[in-house]
Parts: sequence; structure tokens; C-alpha cells
Amino acid sequence: MAGLLENAARAMQAVDGPRSARQPTATEEIEVGGVDRESLLVNWLNEILYLEQTHRLICVRFHITELDDHHLRARIETRKCDPSQTHIKAVTFHNLQIREVSEGLEAEVVLDV
Amino acid sequence: MCSIPAEAVMIDKKHIERVSEHVWEIPKTFRDDMRVPARLYADEELLDTALSDNSVLQLVNTATLPGVVKYAIAMPDIHQGYGFPIGGVVATHLPEGVISPGGVGYDINCGVRLLVSQVSVEEIEPYLEDIASRLYANCPSGVGAHGHLRLSDNELDQVLHEGSRWMLEKGYASREDLDRTEEFGRISAADAAFVSDHARERGRNQLGTLGAGNHFIEVDRVTEVYDQPTAARLGIYAGNVAVQIHCGSRGLGHEVCEDYVSRFQKTAQDYGIELPDRELVCAPFDSKEGKEYFRAMACAANFAFANRQLLAHMIRRSFEEMLTGEVKNFELQQVYDIAHNMAKVEEHNIDGRSLRVCVHRKGATRAFGPGSSVLPDSLRDLGQPVLIPGSMGTASYVLIGTKGAMEQTFGSTCHGAGRVMSRTKAKKTIRGTVLRDQLKSRGILICAGSMSGLAEEAPLAYKDVARVVEVVHMLGIGRKIARLEPVAVIKG
Repeated sequence: MAGLLENAARAMQAVDGPRSARQPTATEEIEVGGVDRESLLVNWLNEILYLEQTHRLICVRFHITELDDHHLRARIETRKCDPSQTHIKAVTFHNLQIREVSEGLEAEVVLDV
Repeated sequence: MCSIPAEAVMIDKKHIERVSEHVWEIPKTFRDDMRVPARLYADEELLDTALSDNSVLQLVNTATLPGVVKYAIAMPDIHQGYGFPIGGVVATHLPEGVISPGGVGYDINCGVRLLVSQVSVEEIEPYLEDIASRLYANCPSGVGAHGHLRLSDNELDQVLHEGSRWMLEKGYASREDLDRTEEFGRISAADAAFVSDHARERGRNQLGTLGAGNHFIEVDRVTEVYDQPTAARLGIYAGNVAVQIHCGSRGLGHEVCEDYVSRFQKTAQDYGIELPDRELVCAPFDSKEGKEYFRAMACAANFAFANRQLLAHMIRRSFEEMLTGEVKNFELQQVYDIAHNMAKVEEHNIDGRSLRVCVHRKGATRAFGPGSSVLPDSLRDLGQPVLIPGSMGTASYVLIGTKGAMEQTFGSTCHGAGRVMSRTKAKKTIRGTVLRDQLKSRGILICAGSMSGLAEEAPLAYKDVARVVEVVHMLGIGRKIARLEPVAVIKG
């Protein structure tokens, strides 16, 4: 599940468009809750959008440090950007799915753009 | 919650009964979980378009909400949304009926404001390029754009509670502006205690910004007037300049919706509410959770009213900067400001009884007819103006609310053209620079922050707005007053 969360964050950024490969300059600690793992995934991605849009950060690397089905803690390496580079407005619960596949877990998330 | 995916069963015409020329119904017997029938208002071609995506199934899903009354309704511009379709109207009987954040949408109180001038487009044409550039500079756009106002905590609270009234106190609005705004620019149920810190932070610097996506500021020409006496009462004359603002509550509204859709995942379970799509989560209106969402939603709605008010102020300033001393009578008067993503508590006559209901309009416009007590004195005998924006290259319409809307659709009508093509497909079909040049050759100036964003909003991605409006007019759930066509468009 930790790998799924980290990869989902990278996938969301890839959908959002290309970003420069500059190194991070700061670290943010975040904590997210959810009623189940699907909620946790949506809330995690929304928290990243919040950091990027409101604090004008680019989240460069993601490290899940604690995780269960209802709660996670993570360390995110960031750098400043101005203006905000994200075009995504929200992460939705619409047709949200996490599936077991032979390689592990696969998720489908619909973004509001 | 029930695990039936929203897209599990396809609906086609054999499931739909024709009630009259432009009214179609999916009976309650279609699915066991439906509490009321689903009704679509459309001509045959628009119905076929609606059936080409999952929007009709989404409409059926909304007919399962606890407390839903009469019908789940789809307007002719219905298209697929998140959970709820866009172009949907759902009323739930209070106190036991539910309120659903998804039934309002992410951009709470997304809406349209129309300003008109008594000057002709020809008179401002020599200055139009400069006006468009000034509008683009004065009205910041883009998803995370910041505006010119920096609000303290206390000021933000006041905006969330007072909406356009705060703008009046600060000199950014006139009394006439508030008179010509739905709810007079303020929903009194607002309580900022139920708006999260995240939402506050996302909105704090965004007042007076346009955002991105389908939001725009448009300078228009009034190209046709269908009802001269009514248009004259609204200050609308053929050939004159009009300006439309289409935007909403920005990041603050999105965060309020996200917060409560997330929170209601558990709330719906706690109340034993089974739903076919997680995005439909809801709570009984009179529950603690339902009331808290309504109060937070009202804050976001007030923020949106204030946002469009500040944009109107910046537009007026832009016109002054470019036209003072050059052109006379260019001042911009407000025709009306309407919401098309909102939940409202209203009284409606249902099967001969007056009921208190929560009307969810997601991509639908309130269209109260003549005599409504919620309209200002200056409009009460006319009915409420309804503003239907087109897309950049097509017309927009001014309608007036009708008794027919009160009788058929909980006082509601359509909100626009409705998408027929995804943003991704639109970008693959046409390049933003090509579209900009095409529109320029038709006399439409474009100022856009992003060429790919421009392509996403190409007119070919939308239904024919004229057809949508014609159906609404024939159904009697809105009456055509005037048509507007763009001469300059500012996009995020």
C-alpha cells in the first residue's frame, strides 16, 4: 500500500505536466486519515495538491513513514515554485478503485481538472 | 455502502418512456433502489447525446437518494460529472431528506454575472485590444492564481459570512449590484466555524481571480433581442456592449467539497445510507453533519459572490482606464448574478402540497418566475433573469424565469451548453494556437494563459447552446430574452 500511495502521487504529477528536475530544498511532515484505504488514497493526494497550490511547493520525493488502513504519516521533500504549477483542482471519489493485481496493487482515481 | 459501480448497467432508449415531445422518463421500476422516476428534458438529438456517456445512469443514481421527491431531473445540457451528472436537479423533502456535497459540486456557487453598457460595440472597437489586455492583467487567472486583496483572518471570516455585502462596505459594490444578485449576494446560513483551515488557506489570496478550466470573462455584443420590453427593463439593447463573468469559489469551494465528501464517507455509513457511487455521499439535512456542510457550503457560496463582485469591480476599472475621455456612457450596470452549483432550502408545490425541500442544482440555474417573493422589487413582476453562457466561439443567452419552471422543475433551468467531448480529446482534436487564430479571423479576440487550456474549451467540445436554449424555451422552463456573441474572451 505504501508503494501504491507513493506511485499514485508521482502519477498525479505526471498527469499534471512536466516539471524540472531540480533538487528539493525543504521537508514537510504530513499526517492523513481516512475511513478506509480508498479514502486514505484520495485524502493523501488532496493533501499534496494543497501543499502545491497553497504553499506554492513542488513535492519532489515521497516517503510513507507510518501506515495502516485508516491513517498515514509521510515525509515529503519539496522545493518552492512560483507561481503554482498545478492544473488539477481536486481528487475525487468518483469510480475510485484499488485492485489486487499480480504485481501488487493498482488504483484508479479520477481527477477534477 | 452498496458496491454496484455507477457504470455497471448501460441505459438505452428502450428503458426510456416518452412523456411528451421534450420530456422523457425512466420509471422507478427500472432499478430496485430508485425512490422516484428520473426525468430528462431534451429533444431527441440531445437525448441521444446524453445517452452517449454515463450521465443518464448518473441521473438514475441520484433518484436513489433518501428523501428525493417527484423526479430526479436532467436538463437538456446534461453531461457526465463526478457522481452526480452536470445539468441535474434533485430535491429532497425536509427534514428527513439528505444534503449531498457532490450534488452541489466542487466549485460551490460557480455562476455567471452579466453587466451591460449603453454604448455600442462599434464605439469601443478601436480600444478593444487594449481593454482585453487590461482585463487580463487586472483579473488574474490560472488554478492557483492570487488576487490583489490580502485578507486577514478576521476579514476572511467577514467575507465568508457577508459575501457581496462585505464588498459593498469596502466600496467594491453598489446597492444596485446586490439587488441584482441571487440571494442579494449573501446566504445567511454561513458559519465559518465549519470551514477547515485548509479551505481558508486555499481561498485567502484568491478573491478577485478567475481560475482556470471553463471560467472566463467575455466582452459581448447583444446580437438579438427576442422580447424588447423585457430586455429594455434589464437595460439590454441590440448592438450594445455586455460583459459576462463565469467563475466560482476557487480553491476554497473545492476544499469545502473535498473535506465534506471525505468526511461523509463515514457519515453515510453511520446513517445506514446505501449508495451506488461514493461521490454521492450525503447526510440527513437536519443532522449535525448535514447542517455543518450546509453552513460551510454557504460560506463558499458567499466567497463566490464576493469573488464575482470583485471581478466586476476590476472590469469596471479596466473599462474606465481605457475609455474615460474617449467614449461616453460606457459604464457597466449589473443585469443579474446567478449560481449554477448550489443547494437551497425552498418551498415548492409538489402534487398539490407546499413542501420544504433542499433543491440541489448542479450545473443548473434557478429560474423563478414572476411574482416570486425572493426577487427584488425591480424584478418581481418580470421573473428572475437567467444567464446561459456559451463557449468562446458561440452565443450566450439571457432568459427569464417562468411559472412553467416552478411547476415542472423546482424553479430550475439549464446552465450552459454542456460538454460532448472530454478535455483530453479536445486537446487532441485542435491546437490552442490554431483555435485562437480561427476565432480571431471571426472577430473574436482571445487572451489566454494556457494554449492547451484554450484547446480544452474549444467550441467543438460543447453541445449546440442554441439547441439547448430552444428546448428550454419550448418547454416553458425559461423564456428567451436576448442573445449575446463574444468579441473578446479572457480565459484562465
